Amino acid sequence: MEKANTQNIPSPIGENKQRIDARDKVTGAAIYADDFQFGNSLLHARIKRSPHPHALIKKIDTTKARALPGVKAIVTGEDFPGYIGLYLQDRFIFCRERVRYVGDPVAGVAAISEEIAQKALDMIEVECEILEPVLDPEFGVSPKAPLIHPDLGQYVVASFILPKPGTNISNHFKIRKGDVDSAWEKCAAIVERKYRIPHIQHVPIEPHVAIAKVDESGGVTLWGSSQSPFAQRNLIAQSMGISQSDMRVIAPIVGGGFGSKAGVSMEALAVAIATKVKGRPVKLLLTREEEFFTAFVRQGLVAYFKMGCDEKGRLLAVENRFYWDAGAYTEYGVNITRASGYSSSGPYEVPNVKTDSYCVYTNHPVGGPMRGFGMPEMHAGLEQCIDELALQIGMDAVAFRKLNCLKTGSILVTGSKMHPTGLPQCVEIVAEAIGWGKKSPPSAPHKRRGKGLALMWKAPAMPPNAGSSAWVELAEDGTLNVGVGGQEIGQGVFTVAAQMAAAALGVPYESVRIATPIDTRYSPYEWQTVASRLTWSMGNAIVRAAKDARRQILEVVAEAWEETIEDLDIVNGVVISFKSEKEIPLKNLVIYGLPKPGDQGWRGGPVIGRSNFMPTYVTGLDPETGQGERAVVHYTTGAQAVELEVDLDTGRIEILKGVSAFDVGKAINPEMVKAQMEGGFVQGMSSALFEILQLKGGVVQNPSFVDYRIATSADIPKDLQAYIVEVAQDDGPWGARGIGEHSMVPTIPAIANAIYDAVGVRFEGPPFTAEKVYLAMQDAGLIE
Amino acid sequence: MTINTHPTLPEFEYVRPETLAEASEFLTRYPGEARPFLGGTDIFVRMRDGLITPNFLVDVKKLDGTNDLRFEPQAGLTLGAAVNMNRVIASREVQAHYPLLAEACRSVASYQLRTRATVVGNICNASPAGDTIGACLVFNGVLHIHEVNGLRQEPLAEFFLGPGKTTLKPGDIVTAIHLPLPPKGCAGVYLKLGRNKLSDLSLVGVTALGHPDPSLPSGYRFRLALASVAPVPLVPTQAETYLANQPITPETIREAAHLAAEACAPIDDLRGSARYRKEMVRNLSAKALSEVWEKLK
Amino acid sequence: MAFHKVNVTINGEMEQVVVPSNMTLMRMLREILAFTGTKNGCSAGECGACTVLLNGEPVNSCMVLAVECDGTEIITVEGLAGDKQLDPIQEAMIQEGGVQCGFCTPGILISSYALLKRNPNPSEDEIREALVGNLCRCTGYVRIIESVKEAAKRS
Ligand SMILES: Cc1cc2nc3c(=O)[nH]c(=O)nc-3n(C[C@H](O)[C@H](O)[C@H](O)COP(=O)(O)OP(=O)(O)OC[C@H]3O[C@@H](n4cnc5c(N)ncnc54)[C@H](O)[C@@H]3O)c2cc1C
Ligand code: FES
Ligand code: FES
Repeated sequence: MEKANTQNIPSPIGENKQRIDARDKVTGAAIYADDFQFGNSLLHARIKRSPHPHALIKKIDTTKARALPGVKAIVTGEDFPGYIGLYLQDRFIFCRERVRYVGDPVAGVAAISEEIAQKALDMIEVECEILEPVLDPEFGVSPKAPLIHPDLGQYVVASFILPKPGTNISNHFKIRKGDVDSAWEKCAAIVERKYRIPHIQHVPIEPHVAIAKVDESGGVTLWGSSQSPFAQRNLIAQSMGISQSDMRVIAPIVGGGFGSKAGVSMEALAVAIATKVKGRPVKLLLTREEEFFTAFVRQGLVAYFKMGCDEKGRLLAVENRFYWDAGAYTEYGVNITRASGYSSSGPYEVPNVKTDSYCVYTNHPVGGPMRGFGMPEMHAGLEQCIDELALQIGMDAVAFRKLNCLKTGSILVTGSKMHPTGLPQCVEIVAEAIGWGKKSPPSAPHKRRGKGLALMWKAPAMPPNAGSSAWVELAEDGTLNVGVGGQEIGQGVFTVAAQMAAAALGVPYESVRIATPIDTRYSPYEWQTVASRLTWSMGNAIVRAAKDARRQILEVVAEAWEETIEDLDIVNGVVISFKSEKEIPLKNLVIYGLPKPGDQGWRGGPVIGRSNFMPTYVTGLDPETGQGERAVVHYTTGAQAVELEVDLDTGRIEILKGVSAFDVGKAINPEMVKAQMEGGFVQGMSSALFEILQLKGGVVQNPSFVDYRIATSADIPKDLQAYIVEVAQDDGPWGARGIGEHSMVPTIPAIANAIYDAVGVRFEGPPFTAEKVYLAMQDAGLIE
Repeated sequence: MTINTHPTLPEFEYVRPETLAEASEFLTRYPGEARPFLGGTDIFVRMRDGLITPNFLVDVKKLDGTNDLRFEPQAGLTLGAAVNMNRVIASREVQAHYPLLAEACRSVASYQLRTRATVVGNICNASPAGDTIGACLVFNGVLHIHEVNGLRQEPLAEFFLGPGKTTLKPGDIVTAIHLPLPPKGCAGVYLKLGRNKLSDLSLVGVTALGHPDPSLPSGYRFRLALASVAPVPLVPTQAETYLANQPITPETIREAAHLAAEACAPIDDLRGSARYRKEMVRNLSAKALSEVWEKLK
Repeated sequence: MAFHKVNVTINGEMEQVVVPSNMTLMRMLREILAFTGTKNGCSAGECGACTVLLNGEPVNSCMVLAVECDGTEIITVEGLAGDKQLDPIQEAMIQEGGVQCGFCTPGILISSYALLKRNPNPSEDEIREALVGNLCRCTGYVRIIESVKEAAKRS
């Protein structure tokens, strides 16, 4: 029998445990959705898509395509009358009557090979009446704009989303705090700016894929690369008019999501097609080009800021107007609009705030959630204004931020109080690490150096009652199987889940397994893997489930040993008594229980702990003022600083150094937290320097990696630092809050501020390409 | 207008002839339908893009001499068509005598792509952005072409007719590119500007080569070739002539760079504007010429 | 479209498959032989997720025709480890945290493995250059580069 040494047993919390999925991933054993093998019964789906940004469908003729040998099914919008949508049910699975963006699905084909399915697409004839498109959100809100959703008033919508029927506005979120109008007079400095943040894309290296199969009895199975298997179960079942219990979603680990695989997008197409070929799995795999044309985009934003401070540099007023270019439908856009509204002061205490955040339908690709959920777009402008304001009032940009940034107890833009926060420490740390205030010489005469800094805040944006659940089950050898519904998308949540389960139950990390793949039939419910909410929300559920199992175990042992639970503990997989110093390994009791003395029967039995977590304390916001008790569960805050060099001969920017500091409450796995900061920094840097989905007449002009450039190994700074600040979150497991998205929020403005520091130019928006920088320097007379 | 979602490589027939004669014969038999290929890194992409739909792809990688990489001290370098760029980069002889060519190859895409991509494919593809074409031009490269009636040689300088257009006729197979011996005492650089630091196509590429030439008033001959700034890889002869006749100074280098910029006719496209490209030709030419001059002095 | 018989050694095992002309090596590996460790991220030579060793040299398997591989030797990510022992680059990737979602990982491993074969002591710049053809959206590359350095030390 193992001896339990209660001393020196390190808790796995705060330890840099090895990733639970690493070995499978380095040996090629890890299975992703496209890796499932279905044999010869597999059919391949291709989608006929709208070439027009806005048009009415007059006729679809599929006769010729149906006659093509090898074609097994063709579907159109006629076949599926149900609406679908997460917050606002504003679309059909396949278009009916109207197409609203270039790429909108018009018909679907299943055939015995991709080639045949593709041929069939070319044989489907679609007649359209072309309508005037809306290609700019400011035009979209104007009375002149054609209506993209004439039926907006009839759509089913979540209570906290406020569409305006008869317009293209799918949500209008307002903040009215204090009185901005009278505040301007008191301002010693005012900055007014307009920014335009382009559409970009998530670009997970794994493209979207979905395989669907419908049984004779009507049961549906969907295998997919998904951040939201439960939301997909719910929404697809609803739209197709089947029971959620008959809709099974199997979701293996995801090859990168960043939001693009959240909610429902192309998955519903595969399911719809599969209903017509019962018994046969139908696979829809998006090509990279199709990804660029049709997968979620990060919405474009046109943002107006007006910001003022008094002569001491205290922020007095902020007035914003945000026009979100949400695209043809708004799976998440309406809530991004809301989130940017209730965060529109930035991480600052501002007494007077007026914000109007509009979610505007356009005939652009569909806006989805992307890492940061509106915050990188909003902070891009806001944090540049802060620099400009500091400059105007003659204050150092760091001092200005220290003065105004949120501290514990600050009054937030929504009127509630800031919880304990380490934001001031984050500012200190990055300023120190970047050598703020010290100018280092450039590496060559034709180069200029600059430093820039930006802060951020972000809350998990979700419905107030987004829930998590978890179970834990012990096996014969005392190992622990943990059931979760949250997804491993690279962020490391399975590892963190295992660390938390191990700590909460009292078993070694190494003996924990995660029950994968996520399968809505067997895995416990999880709202979605979005909003950086899993470590916190699912973590809470796991801890509670582990404690539930722990209680069951201890009760059995206490009864057997005639002791009280309070005297017992589980340490390293062994139940021990502090009182009697007895011990028993879990494996000796968790399945078969314990025999009563004298052959008098048994106690206990298989142990399975279960629990859930749902924030019950999030309140609504007043629709006119945006004020409320507790709008969100919490805010993660942080700061980044960069040092860069601009080449005067080419305009090319080289990021020399990047520094991040975020208050994560508690780092369950510090190295993985740092890895999130690094990865987010580089993704933010990539969006600042390279990325833009070039849209012309609604058509993506650069639908491939050839012309949609992302950062490569050669582009990253040689010096990338990450610092963890830990000011505990009251409702988080061990005080933890999320960090997945935050690390790309301040990067664009930090880089913009550094460019300004180096060469004195600013831009309406990213990307700060070499060309843009060069021409701006030329126009500013800095170079010939 | 439709959107091309690029499902798979379209259907075609793979053909691998045993001899050059057989290959040329096959290509002549199916003009417009059959195309030769080497690494395929251009042709597969164009097929997926739906730009070309050949019924036959003729693999010419195993044919006579196409795998040779041969340097002869009297004659120069013969680079077989099928020699991939990584082999060029790794070749001691190329490094010793044509480091400029190795540098240009190294700027192409990624290591794994260069295992397939060839210099001859780069040339035959006739993209103005071809990174290795400039080096071959400034070394006065000559193509060896197998045609139905035998062999011919064609100076690279006369090969390009327009974007994707060359003097090749159906049945023609480039078997090698020959680079004469490099001029004595020469030095060269290739400056490539892409959107990313490495791996991008060139927004502008400047190849410069210089060497002493006592027959010229300046005592030096400079060669320049420009990528991505005209319908074909461009040699700005005015700039070259100017430097042949003027003493080499920072001022004359600047003027030559200016002439190079004047010579090009770039377009606005997704990757960059004509205005920027012209500026970059000027700045990078000046930089390239100065760097070469530093090495020559 | 005609089909072609292809004899090929994959991770040391002889395989015989029949493929159509337009099938890429990547599709042959994934769809016919179920070596799904090799990933499809773009099918256009840009992302590197499909990188395998062809006769010892890394190639984008989406840019190679299966028929061209007759008589060749291929190593995929599944073939990097010995019977029980991981290759040093695999060990290092685990230890240094070079893996997040893992989708780029097979290609990164193959490129790094090949780099270390031809250059056992690469400099930081050489590592970066060797990996430009392998896009990673998660890690920001920092820990991947560290992994290669670490593997170089180990082997
Ligand atoms: C991801 C990616 C990145 C790239 N990056 C770059 C880059 O940075 N710089 C650059 O210059 N290029 C780049 N390219 C383009 C391409 O790789 C190069 O042009 C390469 O050199 C082509 O060589 P290949 O052997 O693959 O040509 P192939 O594709 O085999 O052939 C190219 C063309 O030449 C014709 N052809 C081939 N062989 C012969 C012959 N023997 N005789 C007559 N005609 C022939 C073919 O019919 C075809 O039209 C890139 C391509 C990809 C896919
Ligand atoms: S799949 Fe081959 S390079 Fe992307
Ligand atoms: S780990 Fe996700 S793409 Fe590299």
